[in-house]
Amino acid sequence: MPEPESELSSREVEHVARLARLGITPDEVVRYRDQLRNILTAIDALKRADTSTVPATAHPLEERNVMRDDRTEPCLPAEAALQNAPSREGPYFKVKAIQE
Amino acid sequence: MKLFQRTIRDLHQMLLDREISSVEVTESVLGQIDAVGEKTKAYLLVTRELALRQAKAADDRLRAKRDVKPLTGIPIALKDVLCVKDVVSTAGSKILKGFTPPYSATVVDRLESEGAVFLGKTNCDEFAMGSSNENSGYWPVHNPWDLDRVPGGSSGGSAAAVASGEAIAALGSDTGGSIRQPAALTGTVGMKPTYGRVSRYGLIAFASSLDQIGPMTRDVVDAALLLQAIAGHDPRDSTSSQKPVPDYLSTLERGVKGMRLGVPREYFVAGMEPAVEQAINDAIKLLEQQGALIEEVSLPHSDVALPAYYIIAPAEASSNLARYDGVRYGYQAEGAKNLIEEYMLTRQQGFGAEVKRRIMLGTYALSSGYYDAYYLQAQKVRTLIIEDFKRAFEKVDALLGATSPTVAFPLGAKTQDPVAMYLNDIITIPANLGNVCGISVPCGLADGLPIGLQIIAPGFREETMLQVAFAFKAAADFRKLQSPLMKAAA
Repeated sequence: MPEPESELSSREVEHVARLARLGITPDEVVRYRDQLRNILTAIDALKRADTSTVPATAHPLEERNVMRDDRTEPCLPAEAALQNAPSREGPYFKVKAIQE
Repeated sequence: MKLFQRTIRDLHQMLLDREISSVEVTESVLGQIDAVGEKTKAYLLVTRELALRQAKAADDRLRAKRDVKPLTGIPIALKDVLCVKDVVSTAGSKILKGFTPPYSATVVDRLESEGAVFLGKTNCDEFAMGSSNENSGYWPVHNPWDLDRVPGGSSGGSAAAVASGEAIAALGSDTGGSIRQPAALTGTVGMKPTYGRVSRYGLIAFASSLDQIGPMTRDVVDAALLLQAIAGHDPRDSTSSQKPVPDYLSTLERGVKGMRLGVPREYFVAGMEPAVEQAINDAIKLLEQQGALIEEVSLPHSDVALPAYYIIAPAEASSNLARYDGVRYGYQAEGAKNLIEEYMLTRQQGFGAEVKRRIMLGTYALSSGYYDAYYLQAQKVRTLIIEDFKRAFEKVDALLGATSPTVAFPLGAKTQDPVAMYLNDIITIPANLGNVCGISVPCGLADGLPIGLQIIAPGFREETMLQVAFAFKAAADFRKLQSPLMKAAA
């Protein structure tokens, strides 16, 4: 008998949301837990594929180590880079304190 | 025939002959947007003034016979995941509401230098995550063939615009089928080029090892023309290929006589609608009558493509979407006490349900303890899928199958069941993972709803795929297939 799958717990959902910096309500924890369980069950076939001698593919490119000449080129002016900032001060993005 | 109903190729000839002006074509298409835009909801933003300004400039260029290109003066729609300088670009997400990019995507620059006319930004599933366009952060798109049904997704707005005459052609993006599936569901032509064929610079990222930009048109020739304009190396995208771009038009009409076309038995999936299966079999027969040699092939790992995709794409997305933190651009939540709370609230309020689901799925698959079982295993399965295609293409020149196992489904039918929604992409996903190219062309109707034939060719063999698509179109004459919204105005 194969060992039964350990199911995704509410605590794990909270942990994952925290890792992803995603605020989540208690109701959502339950809803996402159930939905993610269903998705993980649906994609469980993945584990059945025999990959013991197969290398991983991270990307499909044939090109390796794409280089360019080491010289400066025109880049986005600071004002353009800042034009969408929700809050700014002078030529800087303004953020809240990291600690209270 | 109204101007908005015509193809790029026809309009180009008429523009060259000075029979019509670009302003006339553009006004015709804008008029159709006025007439049916409230029905399809295909656009998030119509750039009327910009379009007319570009059309006037194109007319000057045509009059002076200066550097006239196939797209000069042709009105084109752009999926909202493509950045256009100073034009609001949101990727269909509330978290990017009002975002005005300080630069344009390379494909946008290229169309602009050809003298194309930009109609606006088309609706899509938020960050291109979805198969029905119902995950748009703004509103769903309605299928021009039946307004109670979805147009497919995620490039559903582009597909609906092309099918309803609200654009002559459009650009979409395809990560797991997001160009081909909506093309199938709206009776249009949609192509996913090989990864690396088209620059992704300025494409708002979903899954960076899978995303490709491609054409959505009403004709195979138009798809070739649009691909010709956007393909090729871009120094600003190191993942764009250095391979030379062939002349797609020169080989288009060679036919399929003697060509070997494979039919993967695994692509006739469980749950495929009988009318779809029938139409695909009829299409295969038609190509055989044109002289193609048809043979059954096997892609044995097709059943694990969907599971691998739903690990790899969310994993890459969870990383890509980390940038939406309310600091540099986009929405910023109010009332947070500190920076981390601001991140959490901004993302909680700014992202929709499907995006959150995929961020969590991807974060889970990458997290300590699960990485090997999920992410690494999915990457190994990706290798198996690449090898499946390599083996098949030793025997055949291209592969044939359905694009979508079903025709367009009613709005709301699958929104409560993410797994059912994911199954829409079961036959389009392998091409993204396997690094090959694919195109969907209309091949019939079932109860008045379009069916798409998918043609898949080896990586960087878009010309082969287009050649088959053109031969099929010529034999089937699917140009007779027009959505009711398109016909109504005739």
